[in-house]
Amino acid sequence: MILARAGLRHHLRNPWQAALAILGVALGVAVVVAVELANASAERAFTRSAEALAGDATHRVTAGSAGLDEGLYAQLRRSGVRPATPVVEGYVDGPQGRPLRVLGVDPWAEAGVRDTVAGAAFRVDAADWLGSEAAAVLFEKDAQRLGIGAGDRLDVEVGGRGRSLVVAAVAEPADALTAEGLRDTVVVDIATAQELLGRVGRLDRIDLVVPDGAPGERMLARVAEHLPPEAEVQDAQDGAAALDEMTAAFRLNLTAFSLLALLVGALLIYNAISFSVVQRRPLLGRLRALGVGRGQLFRGVVAEGVLLGALGTVLGLPLGYALAEILLELVTRTITDLYFVLSVRDVTLAPSAVAMAAILGVVAAGGAAAAPAWEAASVAPRSALERASLEGRARRWVRWLALAGCGLAALGGLLLWGYGGGLVVGFAGVFALLAGAALVVPWAVYTLALVAAYPAGAVFGAPGRMAARGVAAGLSRSGVAGTALVIAVTAVIGVTVMIDSFRGSLATWLETTLSADVYVSAPSQAGDRPPALVPDLAERLGAVDGVEYVATARYLRVPSAYGEVRLRAFDHGPIGDRGMRYKDRTADAWERFEAGEAAFVTEPFAAHHKLATGDRIALRTPQGVHELPVAAVVYDYTTSEGAVFVGRAFYDDHWGDEAINSLAVHAATGVDREGLIDALRQAAGAEAAALRFRSDAEIRQLSLEVFDRTFAITRVLQLLATVVAAAGVFGALFALSLERTGEVAVLRALGLTPRQVGVLELARTGLLGGFAGLLAIPPGLALAGALTGVINQRAFGWSLQLSVDPAVLVQGVVLASGAALLAGLYPAYRAARIPPGEAMRDEG
Amino acid sequence: MKGRPSGPQPHRKDGYSTFRGGWWPCLCLLLGSLLLGSGCGGDHERQEAGEDSITVAEALSGEDAASGFARADGPRDFRFPADHGAHPDYRHEWWYVTGNLENADGRHFGFQITFFRFALLPQELIRDSAWGTRQLWMAHFAVTDTEGETFHHFERLARGALDLAGAQADPFRVWLEDWTLAAAPDTTGFEQLEADLAAEDVALQLRLEPRKPIVFQGERGYSRKGPEPGNASYYYSVPRLYAEGQIRLPEGEHAVRGNAWIDREWGSSTLAEDQVGWDWFSLQLDDGRELMFYHLRRADGSIDPRSKGGWVDVDGEHRVVTREDVELEVLDTWTSPDGKATYPSRWRLHYAEERLELEIEPTLADQELRDGFRYWEGAIRGQGTAAGESVSAVGYAELTGYAD
Repeated sequence: MILARAGLRHHLRNPWQAALAILGVALGVAVVVAVELANASAERAFTRSAEALAGDATHRVTAGSAGLDEGLYAQLRRSGVRPATPVVEGYVDGPQGRPLRVLGVDPWAEAGVRDTVAGAAFRVDAADWLGSEAAAVLFEKDAQRLGIGAGDRLDVEVGGRGRSLVVAAVAEPADALTAEGLRDTVVVDIATAQELLGRVGRLDRIDLVVPDGAPGERMLARVAEHLPPEAEVQDAQDGAAALDEMTAAFRLNLTAFSLLALLVGALLIYNAISFSVVQRRPLLGRLRALGVGRGQLFRGVVAEGVLLGALGTVLGLPLGYALAEILLELVTRTITDLYFVLSVRDVTLAPSAVAMAAILGVVAAGGAAAAPAWEAASVAPRSALERASLEGRARRWVRWLALAGCGLAALGGLLLWGYGGGLVVGFAGVFALLAGAALVVPWAVYTLALVAAYPAGAVFGAPGRMAARGVAAGLSRSGVAGTALVIAVTAVIGVTVMIDSFRGSLATWLETTLSADVYVSAPSQAGDRPPALVPDLAERLGAVDGVEYVATARYLRVPSAYGEVRLRAFDHGPIGDRGMRYKDRTADAWERFEAGEAAFVTEPFAAHHKLATGDRIALRTPQGVHELPVAAVVYDYTTSEGAVFVGRAFYDDHWGDEAINSLAVHAATGVDREGLIDALRQAAGAEAAALRFRSDAEIRQLSLEVFDRTFAITRVLQLLATVVAAAGVFGALFALSLERTGEVAVLRALGLTPRQVGVLELARTGLLGGFAGLLAIPPGLALAGALTGVINQRAFGWSLQLSVDPAVLVQGVVLASGAALLAGLYPAYRAARIPPGEAMRDEG
Repeated sequence: MKGRPSGPQPHRKDGYSTFRGGWWPCLCLLLGSLLLGSGCGGDHERQEAGEDSITVAEALSGEDAASGFARADGPRDFRFPADHGAHPDYRHEWWYVTGNLENADGRHFGFQITFFRFALLPQELIRDSAWGTRQLWMAHFAVTDTEGETFHHFERLARGALDLAGAQADPFRVWLEDWTLAAAPDTTGFEQLEADLAAEDVALQLRLEPRKPIVFQGERGYSRKGPEPGNASYYYSVPRLYAEGQIRLPEGEHAVRGNAWIDREWGSSTLAEDQVGWDWFSLQLDDGRELMFYHLRRADGSIDPRSKGGWVDVDGEHRVVTREDVELEVLDTWTSPDGKATYPSRWRLHYAEERLELEIEPTLADQELRDGFRYWEGAIRGQGTAAGESVSAVGYAELTGYAD
């Protein structure tokens, strides 16, 4: 009781520290909560929509993005396979620029599979449903959002062309979950969907409800009888799970970054508590003398930490919720850019995320308080009265800590580079590395400060030496502050170098692979299947003056042993393998590729599926499953999922259609780009309006924009960690200056002017910041190496060229000194105003 | 058939249609059932949909809605097998097979096979997608297990696209997915038919052979229902076919044989405002003669004078039976388990011209189809005298417009 009251009074008298500690935890918790909520919301939105779209379907017949011949469905139904229902779906640009999912169904086959969808369609008069080419049903939430109702027009854009649907009815899903899953979905007749999405004759899939046991086996056997070679029957959940898995690495990365913010937050708690312990040493000593046990003291101080942590957590949760709104937008956009169209509107309060963050906040705070608590409990009743004993012990301890830190960092290095292991092991290595660095910092600061005292003394005289030695003398405080700063700056350096390296690798890759002058494609929703071009377009564009060759590419997803894989078929003609960047290849790789005898895989694909040159890969084609040797692994940064490349010859042999998704126009040297694009447009004729003509420079620009957008979230998290660290530095410095009140008074009494005192204080904090900046460079570089070489490789499979811009390192030092100076301003101002006499009296 | 709506409440206004007699409201009813979601949705949805469907019913009742469709506006020269196939420009059309069967032990089964075609729009649609069609098909399949006291009934819908459902004349075939009624191999028309239907654990395979020539109902197959010339349908029947085949029921399979009846009808006409329902009977006497007649019930409880039927002699000679020719007295009623409909369930019939006296009853009381829309269609049997001679009969009855 007496302990609690003493603690409370202390914090009431020194509200700044408590507030900063709380703020630190609050920010840390907020970041963790925000990331968790954003992740959980994105995943939930994905799951809900997958569930609502699957309805009661247990299986689906698919053949990748090329889809199925619609006749297959009729065949299945005529042979008694039911419930089976055909689906044609795709995305269009909705009225507010948001993607709308167009779900094309046959309502008379929907019942028993997707009752909500069937119910929605049946709200429309059957004659209108079948008779209109534009009838669509919206769900209530979307109708409200778009501000339209039954009878209104719904203008959408498909592949660059405007189309109008008519809202024939507004439906209300049967339950909230379905409503959530069917958000941004418009239900149309399957005929309308085929026409709207350019899928006439094709189905995207056939959903089946397969009963358990023997009847189910019979049904699947009957399906198998009719199945064309390119199609396969998939467990409905497997498809969704595979998609979900694709984003798992991305989400894990975010979680790791959020934990980094929490780590910095925990350091702040440590900082605040240990400082409060130092300040109360006389009190604690007296308490000990009065017979308070060590255990009691320990528990009391830990309880303080937990209390601060709890308060911070309480503040952090709503803050995190607000932050999650921003992050969610970024997460959604990144998933759409990189993986598939995802529409998430709201942050859903996931209890598990909140609980996790709360536990982390409180536990981190309690853990951070443990060391100072132990320190408080271990003071002898009398020595508690002496500050010098503490600093003396601190100096002894830092060596051991530094040694332990080296060990930990080495362990981290081993985890990262020693063995293989997964992404989680990689992150464990990163954290070990950071924790190791954190432990070394106090010793490094001390040593640096002592070393710096000589040059500082030589240049600035006694005050300079005093500033440097002051940093060393206040080690118990400055060590912690420095550590928080070092960790934050390490993160800044590491992440910045990683992003720069990544961007640099991408830019280099774009430079070497974008070998054509103009690229032609039809616009599509990011993440959706790209629309096909008219088959003779390549020929027409090839006839344009100054065009050397028009290379073509076909993009599709095909089923394979690895799930649905991205397949790209290239016709490069005389261009050859210009534009391919090989990581590894066999001698005659390109010749075999062109002849359709071998495939290339992209680096991430090879990484995910543990493939290397010489391995074989099986693809499902309309001619049956076909195995191809992998002749090369190529660099490719367009998809972290990876892709398989084949020559057009292989595609023509197995698919036998003329579909093309993009053209690369290679011009003769010296042809004017603008003039060429005009000429190409002319040659494209009526189709030109629905085509995009982009120069290589434009593509490069756009790719880098997508890249920057993708990493926006990382930058946001990095910024947050820095803010948390700056708050920590401020708290530490403030504490330091408070503590040095007596010393300052002596200086004043010795004749230093308030201005000199102020400068001395600022110099001290500036030095601390500078040291932190310098000390952050080695772990920062190690972190950068870990992120680019290990984490990225394991998460996405990309190998990145590590490139360190010295400016980033300078920035780190400047950032650290700047943050420290900024944080030191008020304490310096305060120190300068200390009247000599009064401050000396306090010292008693 | 989980979650089926229990009845077509929205259509009280128009009354309840029958499928025979060429009347329109059955389509309204059908659309109602489509709107009702055919197997989905809660009460709320049903109610909401009901509001919509009234407008559909309104839109489709009356002469305006029929404009543009081909009309049955006078006698025609039937051509076979062409006319066994579909007549897509008429608004509705059906192929109706009912019959009474027995296994070797004399165990009785009734069956109903119906294919309905509905043209939703007067003009053929021209669309890129093969799924675009104005034709919607529905099929009903029911088996009555008299001894087992169970009635199995199934409903399916499909659009008339991609060969999911359709009818062709030569060789004759009508189908909805895997349910088919078709000319036997090496035949073209109705000389020998094969029916093959399976749903869940009930299946029926029959070979059907006409024992009587085709009978043209009404005026040489032109069956007038109202004062307007177009208010009519084309209607012919095969009043007796020998049926033989297999019935598979959940508890086992039965080799069966017996007699069947086929009705073919198409038109675009509408039902009069005051007509609420319809009682239709087909009877096959054991002396080789048949009687078909229908009563059109009006809202005031009276029988519309346009009600009629036909008598077929042993040699297939046919004559029209008018409303006044047949007396029908209801002796009993039966209420469906949920209390939502009460149907007549026993009758005394008197046809003076042939001195025919029959007491008729269902072989099983509950032969109500409670799918998307609700009506009673079931096997019946009769016992009595004809010209003083003892006679028995089997047949089918269809009772519509009784559900609330």
